[in-house]
Amino acid sequence: MSQHTQALFTRLEEIVGGPYVVTEGAEISAREVCGMLPAVVVRPANAAQIAEIVQFAATEKLAVIPTGGCSKLGIGSPPSRFDIALDLSRLNQVLAYDPKDLTLGVEPGVRIEDLLRTLGEQRQFLPLGVPFADRATIGGIVAANSSSPLRHAYGAVRDFCLGMEFVTGEGAQAKSGGRVVKNVTGYDLHKLLIGSLGTLAVITRINFRTFPMPQAQKTFIASFSSAEAALDFCRSVAHSVLTPQLVEVADPSAGQLIFSGEAFARISPGLWSVIITAAGQPSVVDRYAHELGHMAAAASAAEFVPVEEDAHFALFERIQEFPRLALEAAPQAAIFRLSALPNAMPSLISKLTAIAKQSHADVATLARASGILYAVFVAESSESLESLAAAIPEVFRACSQPEMQASAMLEWCPKELKTAPEVVWGPVRPDFELMNRVKKSFDPQNVLAPGRFAGGI
Amino acid sequence: MQPQLIRDLQALLAPGAVLYSAEDLMLYEYDGSVDLGSPRCVVFPSSAHDVSGIVKLANRYETPIVGRGAGTGLSGGAIARSGGIVIVFSRMNRILEIDEANLRAVVQPGVVNLDLSRAVEHLGLFFAPDPSSQKACTIGGNVSENSGGPHTLAYGVTTNHVTGIELVLTDGEIVRIGGKNIETAGYDLDGFLVGSEGTLALVTEITVRLMRKPEAVKTLLAVYDTLDDTTESVVDITVRAITPAACEMLDGFTLRAVEDYVHAGFPKDCAAVLLIEVEGLKEAVEAQAAEITEVCREHRAREVRAARTDQERNLLWRGRKEAFGAMGRISPMYYVQDGVIPRTRLPETLRRIEEISKKYDLLIGNIFHAGDGNLHPLILFDERDAAQFARVVAAGGEIMRHCVDVGGALTGEHGIGMEKNELMPLIFTSDDLALMERVRSAFNPASLLNPGKVLPMGKACGEIRVPQSPAATAMAT
Repeated sequence: MSQHTQALFTRLEEIVGGPYVVTEGAEISAREVCGMLPAVVVRPANAAQIAEIVQFAATEKLAVIPTGGCSKLGIGSPPSRFDIALDLSRLNQVLAYDPKDLTLGVEPGVRIEDLLRTLGEQRQFLPLGVPFADRATIGGIVAANSSSPLRHAYGAVRDFCLGMEFVTGEGAQAKSGGRVVKNVTGYDLHKLLIGSLGTLAVITRINFRTFPMPQAQKTFIASFSSAEAALDFCRSVAHSVLTPQLVEVADPSAGQLIFSGEAFARISPGLWSVIITAAGQPSVVDRYAHELGHMAAAASAAEFVPVEEDAHFALFERIQEFPRLALEAAPQAAIFRLSALPNAMPSLISKLTAIAKQSHADVATLARASGILYAVFVAESSESLESLAAAIPEVFRACSQPEMQASAMLEWCPKELKTAPEVVWGPVRPDFELMNRVKKSFDPQNVLAPGRFAGGI
Repeated sequence: MQPQLIRDLQALLAPGAVLYSAEDLMLYEYDGSVDLGSPRCVVFPSSAHDVSGIVKLANRYETPIVGRGAGTGLSGGAIARSGGIVIVFSRMNRILEIDEANLRAVVQPGVVNLDLSRAVEHLGLFFAPDPSSQKACTIGGNVSENSGGPHTLAYGVTTNHVTGIELVLTDGEIVRIGGKNIETAGYDLDGFLVGSEGTLALVTEITVRLMRKPEAVKTLLAVYDTLDDTTESVVDITVRAITPAACEMLDGFTLRAVEDYVHAGFPKDCAAVLLIEVEGLKEAVEAQAAEITEVCREHRAREVRAARTDQERNLLWRGRKEAFGAMGRISPMYYVQDGVIPRTRLPETLRRIEEISKKYDLLIGNIFHAGDGNLHPLILFDERDAAQFARVVAAGGEIMRHCVDVGGALTGEHGIGMEKNELMPLIFTSDDLALMERVRSAFNPASLLNPGKVLPMGKACGEIRVPQSPAATAMAT
């Protein structure tokens, strides 16, 4: 270790205290980002220490990446530099929870499981059914804008986050928004941090509105012989007066991942499944059972089954964990997160299937009624990355077709394939220049997660 | 102003699209707020290309530009406080596309809010943000101000309904961000730009979400003899996790003015009423209406009644939406506040407003979105009485400070504009404001676009110096 490096560590120890600076071992390797390891993991206690660390990093021209549960560090393009991993696990307090007001203020290091338990005690929740729930922290979920099947009914983080506090790339502590449910005071800077992968600021507090738990819930599965039939059924639900809590369409391969265990032995393999959850007063849930059954029959569903009470939560968990289940089954998978309109969904899915076939890969898709589609590509021969390398640009090309109008991001893929930001983010769009201006305003010296974002930001 | 600029604008735009005579300009000096400012000219572009051309000319002549929809804003957002060119979007008022299958509409900024809902009504759809001014206000204005309305309690504000915008940047470049999809990879520029009050870019096209009309709607009117019982009911509805689509409160003073004007059947001898609406499947509506009735009765509502017909329902809502107008019958002017508080602090806040009303010897009516804690105290005054106006401004400032003290915000839906920009330091530190200023400069480097709005004047280094708004100056001191 050079003298200079030792001096850097000493300075960090002065800021956070000796035990909170780690330079070797599992703490370091757990924070690998696309093959790069940090020189040091620092565990600050509060926003003031984070500000000091970032100021120091800016002076020394060091690159900082904030981390939480380390479940989503693989998302994004490879950073151009990585020196300091900020471990936010000590910022793990619920700072303000007013169940009567349905508002909440939390530090980023709070684990989502713990948070949902706290809210559950008051029969409230946040609609964040996100992957890696056993490890994921609220800060990481917001920074990655993790997809939740509940978005269809409750919106995404952008819709229920009320404000944030954060530390900019210059080490300034700042905030935007507030703690009340309706607010147009000042610029909504916090909206920019959602999904920014730590490239703009280090989040130190997030305020949310919370939601009351529905009195009753019930899940139904309708199975179809084709994608078109399944999506037609979804369209008829969307055009009805019903407003389900979630609607998910799993192709046969996605169904295999999701329906595991005895409770789902009845689900026939090889079919397209539409999973629908109804929520509300018991009388409302009864009405869904009745009407969905009729609509499924009218849409020539092969099967329509209610999910048993005790299997409901297990099924929800497998849906929310879909990307994790896919990665566990195929660690070398390439998983796209796409956004498409209901009308474009059938042709997009068939195009993805065609791309997979051409590239000697298999594809599994899970479509959400909110307009999000997960597409998991797995090479037929698992040793070869060539087929994925061929498929990836084709997916972006398909999305950019005028009749498709889809947006895509490659959330997960083997790091060897990430040879350029475009591999992950697709071709640079006309609004990139505006994003660049935003980045320069928050982080003029490019201290925070440099290179991890679209266009190499 | 340089006559050459007028000639250049005339050459650029359609005939009759440039106004510059004193009597024409007078119509564009004010909006729905109490502030004033005179533009040097007013232009009516027909396309994004026109807007781009105007912006390029404004750069050449170093002249400020202010976007304007219908001028119904309540914080001076559309006022040319530094003079310059006011761009009125009334000629860009076409609904470009209604995409029923995907529940989207693409509109020009000058489309009137209610006109969009009317255009999709036959499809069973509607555009959710419903400001009280929705008969007049434009969607471009809604986007600039991130407007709300009574039904935002259930459906959210404008930002929750915008998926894409076309912008003209301050150098005249036309850029599209987002689109019809629910998300686009990259920073959420749509989410950031909606509500930026016309200080970052000019909006020339908007893609919005359309919602499906609910199967059933029930509108309840709960009548109370005390303000405390009314506000406690609101707190309890929230606490019991009942989520109405709207929950509005009108106090007795306001009610009497409204009833004389609208004849909606509001009782004139009560302390306050709640106007509560539940929507959804008919089973859900019945269950929720029953729960709400129970809560209101527990808090000593002397009557809870449901509108029996659509006509009755519309009349109740007309009373609510035209309440500001009804105030004109009893006072030459009013000054409307827009503070937000945590909903549990409603009872004490209403008591505080009553105290302030007595302290300054002013009539204050309360009519507001109780369900989300968004207050609209209306302070009545006669603008010819300068001493009284000073008291109005001081009272407004005191209400605002109370909102901040209980953990609230300066504005829930009307915007900061030139009315509250000097109050921003009540909420934000100099570091917060410096970052906001830096982001603004990244989009609007020469401060030509809507100068003197949102951020305190002292913050903006290169900004054109203009006199302070009287309201803002008095409130900040």
